[in-house]
Amino acid sequence: MSVGGARVPRTVYGRVIGVTLAGVRGRLVWVEAHVGRGLPALVLTGLPGAAVTDSRDRVRASVENAGLVWPLRRVVVNLSPANLRKEGPGMDLAIAMGVLAASAQVPRERLERFAFYGELSLRGGLVPTPGALPAAIAAARAGLEGLVVPLANAPEAALVEGLEVVGAERLQDVAGFLRGTWSPPPVVAGEGGPPASHPVDLAEVRGQARARRALEVAAAGGHALLLVGPPGAGKTMLARRLPTILPALSRDEALEVTQLRSVAGLLPRPGLITARPFRSPHHSISAAGLLGGGSGLPRPGEVSLAHHGVLFLDELTEFRRDALEALRQPLEDGRVVVARAGGAVEFPARFTLVAAANPCPCGYLGDPRHACRCPPNRVDAYRQKLSGPLLDRIDLRLAVPRLSRRELLDEREGEPSSSVRERVALARERQRYRYAGLGVGCNGQLPGPLVRREARLAPQAERLLVEAVEGLGLTGRGFDRALRVARTIADLAGSERVEADHLAEALSYRAPVDEGGMARAG
Amino acid sequence: MPAERPELPRGWPPAFARGEANRRALVVLAALRGISPRRLRELAWRVGDAAACLEEVRRGRAGSPKDREAARVLDPAELLRRAEGVGARPVAPGEDEYPPSLLDLADPPAALFVRGARLEPARRVAVVGARNCTPAGAEVALELGRALAAAGVWVVSGAARGIDARAHEGALAAGGPTAAVLGCGIDLAYPPRSRRLLDRIAEAGTVASEYAPGVLAEPFRFPARNRLIAALSEAVVVVEGAEESGSLITADHALDLGRQVLAVPGPVTSPLSAAPLALIREGATMIRGPADLLDDLGLGAASAPTPSASGLGMLEQRVLAHVAGPVLPEQVARAAGLALPEVLAALTRLELLGLVRSVGGRVERRGALWGRPAPPGA
Repeated sequence: MSVGGARVPRTVYGRVIGVTLAGVRGRLVWVEAHVGRGLPALVLTGLPGAAVTDSRDRVRASVENAGLVWPLRRVVVNLSPANLRKEGPGMDLAIAMGVLAASAQVPRERLERFAFYGELSLRGGLVPTPGALPAAIAAARAGLEGLVVPLANAPEAALVEGLEVVGAERLQDVAGFLRGTWSPPPVVAGEGGPPASHPVDLAEVRGQARARRALEVAAAGGHALLLVGPPGAGKTMLARRLPTILPALSRDEALEVTQLRSVAGLLPRPGLITARPFRSPHHSISAAGLLGGGSGLPRPGEVSLAHHGVLFLDELTEFRRDALEALRQPLEDGRVVVARAGGAVEFPARFTLVAAANPCPCGYLGDPRHACRCPPNRVDAYRQKLSGPLLDRIDLRLAVPRLSRRELLDEREGEPSSSVRERVALARERQRYRYAGLGVGCNGQLPGPLVRREARLAPQAERLLVEAVEGLGLTGRGFDRALRVARTIADLAGSERVEADHLAEALSYRAPVDEGGMARAG
Repeated sequence: MPAERPELPRGWPPAFARGEANRRALVVLAALRGISPRRLRELAWRVGDAAACLEEVRRGRAGSPKDREAARVLDPAELLRRAEGVGARPVAPGEDEYPPSLLDLADPPAALFVRGARLEPARRVAVVGARNCTPAGAEVALELGRALAAAGVWVVSGAARGIDARAHEGALAAGGPTAAVLGCGIDLAYPPRSRRLLDRIAEAGTVASEYAPGVLAEPFRFPARNRLIAALSEAVVVVEGAEESGSLITADHALDLGRQVLAVPGPVTSPLSAAPLALIREGATMIRGPADLLDDLGLGAASAPTPSASGLGMLEQRVLAHVAGPVLPEQVARAAGLALPEVLAALTRLELLGLVRSVGGRVERRGALWGRPAPPGA
């Protein structure tokens, strides 16, 4: 085997394993390379996406600058299976290794047992590449021995157990690794992960006892929550603390969350994300930004980045109508299917929705100390925007008043997140046990027919429900919402049945956009 | 215009609306923007009848240049057809149906367009107030409307949203008559969503406007409309209103006309109490609810439906005892020594019984209206 010089290598065929991304999942791809007669060129076949086609010239420059030889002949690289569109820049390394294998510059022993993933620079360096974690998961699932990734992505890939992760900075090091002349630095899995950017706690919220209780119910049952109140009432502060009372992420959940961040290229520091996500997109966001998509490699949207966490939509009425309509699918299915020319891509999106809105354009409708100055027709138009199909999927609605100084002074510091979280975890455990085998994780996910079967109302609660249908003008959907919330309150109380008190409390979270309206109902 | 202005006789000249030609002219005059009823009346006493008035406008000797143009192109037959389209008829001064009480005004309407029942002599009371009212105000207006209608008194208001609409609705709920006076053409609805309410009012009572069909609602027309509400009524009740609200204009007109002015007080901390409290301070009669109003009208209290407070559980009674003005549920919980979930549950039950209501995250007591027994503990 000779390296220097432009001598024709003996071998003409090589095969290595690469990884492409389909949604949030990695898919293994065979990269075959053939060095044959003809003018020097690199031909890519096998449905390469735009970013992969792009790599043709880059790979050649990279190989040459790494001090390796680019065969001055016609090189054909085939990506298989051919029916899968290969997306993302992570194929660079595998293509380079395929060519090196076909030109007999690296031995074959390890080639078949490792997958290669990473983008190359013209100088022969391995550049940090989004999606290393899903690539590692795919390699481990396929039973491979290891994965070669850019050094910067190694801690992320090492989160996957039972996989040898090789982190390299230069292409010649990868070649050296295969030849046995270079050994990679030890990799430490990025456990612990980045700490939450600003640790917050429910104890910091003064007053707003009812809103705190509603947060607890939302967390315990996975219910969507709508907060309606004037500016300065503390809606954002409350929403931000919902992730802190959700039970800690399990390792599988944490891996899913980290994977989504990895694909989105949003892992600030490598490592497992252990904090529940909190995403708060601006109201100018497009439907594609919210749900995911984009040209080339599809990016997970905000709903997926909020997977296992909280999606907070402040100023709900300002969001584009089509974006809000599009939220219905993830809210119902816990996933998003992004349709594209090359087939549909799926991202998980199981989040708790918290929406916030002012009661009227000026914000003071219903405030006992400020007059609302909105012209009535604008209040109507505003209310119109607030209602709609999305609202039907929000189980908990509540008015958050702006507290006066006097009311604030009355309040002691609230309960810390940790003790609320314990109750939430217990309630969730009860639901998991009850719904095992139903494909439902918590009360908030129960469809109407199921909730009527599973609620288990005590006789007195049944009677109260009948009264409420008449007295409060409860609609069919309002009925189901009340049952779902009541079931969660019963779970928090550790009660087998839904008692009348649980239902009565659930009914108090109807306001303030239901039937009669927010403050004008008579 | 000459400076010396002799005191005009009351109302319109006898010949003003007599005959077909004058009646056609009236319809066009009611569509003009630049000549106020006051000016028109002065003109009428000078030139004699409506046709002559319109001729003055056409010659540019009265009204604005735009009026001059409009007076030439507007077709009275077309305007009448539009009125007929919504089942409205013109009513002119001198006709039986023209309410004599309107002539108390210095600027009585030159014509009325009327849908529904005739505006016959009957007892009429106006209930007016804020559009952005509070739930409490809305309830008071509803109860006042109901009680008045049940006692056979017409409820007059402006069909705006808020207090006006609630007063009309209360009257309709009691099956009684009610009259709405509009600030736009009789064939229009302002706000547009009031159209259904107007149709119901026209069915059970009367909808009236001094403007020709097609005249749009404009800010200056609402104060003008308010003078008709005051003139049509023997008393004006102001429920809620901000500092410079239209309700005060209605009350001013009522005082000028020698009508009784009554006001329902509210908390001094609420901006919507400004108008009624100012009126009370200036000597308006304070009423606490339907019973007071009927008393003052010499009609005695008709009993209104009462929410039942009997059969309350211990928990509900304890919670109710701590709900007065707008209060946070957690304050109730602390004062009553109960857990928040218990309080929330109890509040739902009390709401179902009609004893409390929630307003923007706080709860307040209901049913303290004078005219129905207060619940225990009040």
